[in-house]
Amino acid sequence: MTTLVGADREKDNMIDKDGNTIKPDFADLTRYAKQFSDLTTEKENLLLSIKSEIEPLLSEVTDNFYQIMHGIPEAATFLEGRVEKLKPTHQNWMHGLFTGPYDEKYTEAMYHVGDVHVRVNLPVEFMSGGITLICNQLYKLVFEIYSEDLVKAHKIADAINSAMGFSLFVMQKSYHASVDETLDKFLLITGMSKALFEKLSSTFNSTQP
Amino acid sequence: MRQEMLGSILSELNGSSADIEASAVISTDGLLISSVLPQDMDEDRVGAMSAAMLSLGDRTAQELSRGELEQVLVKGRTGYILMTYAGDDAVITVLAKPKAKLGLIFLDVKRAAENIAKVL
Repeated sequence: MTTLVGADREKDNMIDKDGNTIKPDFADLTRYAKQFSDLTTEKENLLLSIKSEIEPLLSEVTDNFYQIMHGIPEAATFLEGRVEKLKPTHQNWMHGLFTGPYDEKYTEAMYHVGDVHVRVNLPVEFMSGGITLICNQLYKLVFEIYSEDLVKAHKIADAINSAMGFSLFVMQKSYHASVDETLDKFLLITGMSKALFEKLSSTFNSTQP
Repeated sequence: MRQEMLGSILSELNGSSADIEASAVISTDGLLISSVLPQDMDEDRVGAMSAAMLSLGDRTAQELSRGELEQVLVKGRTGYILMTYAGDDAVITVLAKPKAKLGLIFLDVKRAAENIAKVL
């Protein structure tokens, strides 16, 4: 099976010789993203354990999220007339954050989300910005719910941070894959080698055309 | 030794016609192997652009069912750029004047390309 996950594999092609997209190895991507986000089994279990307390409040998080996004002019243009359609998808994902499991299927779903964002030309910073906004709201909720047990609240916030980091990592991976795929297609169409492309690129980086 | 031989082939080519202003041998990855170019010309750009043009020409010839690529010719207001393979791994690029007699240049470049391929 073709694997396209680790940093040492970045230079591998994202498409085959016929121009078809090569899917990543989601099991390997799950491992890789978990290592970077420190999403441990303990943290996963902790998130699952608070599902009943936090789930009733998630729709409020989604509403607030889109309200804040609407206040950002750059984001508002992308959301115009689409918010009501986007909300259920967002809520499903929020639900998944507290039901797990954080396995290959979850990774594949997040990769797909990133891929969809690429296809609608969503700026890459919207994802990291969006994750930050959601994290802020979830932390606030957690510290309200567990105001009597701040040690637990901190542990949950830490677990949320890892889960959100994991999700962002995977989504961004699909962004990078999309850029690599575009380059691979260009190379396939023009017949240029990667070495020639890099030579061209460096030649025109050094001075103005 | 090979470098000198390549330089000699290019000098001979440039001397074969007053219409030839410059020439270079480039790897298919765009790296300059040998050249006889005017001083104000950026060797890296000549290398990269020539290899890219030939690569695209190769693909275009295939896609449009024109068979194996023989050469790529670019005509500008102030002259020609002629590119052709010199073996499988190199490209010869020639810059010629706008009123150059192309028939003679094609022959000279073809001969030079064969000699370069033998050296490489």
